[in-house]
Amino acid sequence: MSMPAFTVPQVSHAPQDLAGLTEKVGVRNLNFYYGQNRALKNINVSLYRNKVTAFIGPSGCGKSTLLRILNRIYDIYPNQRAEGEIQFDGEDILSPGQDVNLLRARIGMVFQKPTPFPMTIYENIAFGIRLYHKVSKSELDDRVREALDRAALWTEVKDKLGANGLSLSGGQQQRLCIARTVAVRPEVILLDEPCSALDPISTAKIEELIDELKSDYTIVIVTHNMQQAARVSDFTAFMYLGELIEFGSTTDMFTSPKDQRTQDYITGRFG
Amino acid sequence: MPSTGREPVVDVALQGQGAFTGDTVARQRTLAKLKFSDRAFHNLTRGAAILVLVILGGVIVALVHGSWLAITTFGLDFLTTQSWNPVTEKFGAIAPIYGTLVTSLIAMLIAVPLGLLIALFLTELCPMSLRRPIGIAIELLAGIPSIIYGIWGLFILAPFLQVHVQPALIGAFGNVPILSTLFAGPPYGIGVLTAGLILAIMVLPFITSITRDVFEAVPPVLKEAAFGLGCTTWEVSRRVVLPYARVGVIGGVMLGLGRALGETMAVTFVIGNAHKISASIIAPGTTISASIANEFTEAVGDIYTSSLIALGLILFVITFIVLAIARYLLARVERKLGS
Repeated sequence: MSMPAFTVPQVSHAPQDLAGLTEKVGVRNLNFYYGQNRALKNINVSLYRNKVTAFIGPSGCGKSTLLRILNRIYDIYPNQRAEGEIQFDGEDILSPGQDVNLLRARIGMVFQKPTPFPMTIYENIAFGIRLYHKVSKSELDDRVREALDRAALWTEVKDKLGANGLSLSGGQQQRLCIARTVAVRPEVILLDEPCSALDPISTAKIEELIDELKSDYTIVIVTHNMQQAARVSDFTAFMYLGELIEFGSTTDMFTSPKDQRTQDYITGRFG
Repeated sequence: MPSTGREPVVDVALQGQGAFTGDTVARQRTLAKLKFSDRAFHNLTRGAAILVLVILGGVIVALVHGSWLAITTFGLDFLTTQSWNPVTEKFGAIAPIYGTLVTSLIAMLIAVPLGLLIALFLTELCPMSLRRPIGIAIELLAGIPSIIYGIWGLFILAPFLQVHVQPALIGAFGNVPILSTLFAGPPYGIGVLTAGLILAIMVLPFITSITRDVFEAVPPVLKEAAFGLGCTTWEVSRRVVLPYARVGVIGGVMLGLGRALGETMAVTFVIGNAHKISASIIAPGTTISASIANEFTEAVGDIYTSSLIALGLILFVITFIVLAIARYLLARVERKLGS
């Protein structure tokens, strides 16, 4: 009996040579608890500078949870607790002395649903910049423009910067959120299923954007969509039931996965 | 098979089906019955809605009718005269109007910032274990009858202010140009300031619980996004939570203001009931509702009674204007944000 034909997603990036890479974020023996419930089990993974790392896995596997630990956004909720170590340029993100506000400025995050703030398009961007930099009005204008430019949104909104951010379409709102994140000049950008609420054209634009942004940033993306992971990422991590099953270059992961569960997942047998 | 006295379910179901396919008359009858109850329900709800209009209209008509004698006798002078003299039967409403507005202003100046701070603390900062007790305490505060605030204000708060607070205020601001007139005169304990304080305590739970509810309705992901940029709790509250919840906050403030304008019992106890306008906020004064409550039983003569009803009409109009302003503000805020 012959095996059924697998539909392995097409990988766009060349295989990775680990030799020339610098580790930007290193997760070591990370465990995470929601109250008594252990959501992540001994995670070890490296995120490389100027590379896109995708986290895939079925719902509830802990991939979003992992992302939310990287900028300590879980901190704002009681009863959530992380143990282990996350090295970020030589300092431990999880150490109690960590200035979380500064950390979150260095590790920006874009959420599943577009979250424009209840203010104008201009203010949505300027807001974050003003938190950290004292800049003149003209410099602020420049930086707002630069951020919108980077998020491929400038031409669409340049004539209505005074309009409410909520008046934009879903795809535009999401790019506004990316612009807002980029404007603060972070080092790492976390994307939590950034396209799951968007139409295919907006999705394509955002994927293009990710490709451009990685020359300046380290990007981590959580996605349900394996085709998307294959298209945008250099490295892929497969998670299942709170464990990191397999991590490797995207090419290896999609062409020759070592673990049976990874193979089953990427070929659509479960999840 | 022994009879159970009941038809098997299957048979009933079959017959039921038969009724719908075969006996169209019965079906139509059922439909007609449904139609009737539907229309009855429709009329019932409409009647309830119309009743509100009838009651409101009745109140307006009664107020205008009752105050007609005062309106025709004093004309517009009623709104600008300070004199309130039952002996000469010369009545003017400016003192109670002034007292109503000033006590409410004092109450809002204290209660709005305090209420917002409490609500922000409860939603953003408070540990889970404290949230419920504080929330319940605030709701209990709203449930205390106003007469209790009245006697508490008269027997405890007023003497305390008279002995400890007012002399200090007079001493501290006695030589400051504008403030010295605000705090001029002997410390009576009772007066406009005391009434304003009592009102602040009374409207605080309204403002707090409504703003807390609207703050809680702010989507967590929006707050996360702001925290994700590196905002502190203060920045998130001020730049994201407050703007997002502004409509509800204004609504809560206006509800509190409505209550402050109309509150009668507690104010009557502590305001001093003097029909005159003083620049000093520690001097006795009166409000519209306090005047009516105080004097209705002793109002002899048609013109006296009619003047009191005219006061009621004025309070009605003030409340209406406040509501109108609130609507206008909301519409403007919405337009400005272009949503």
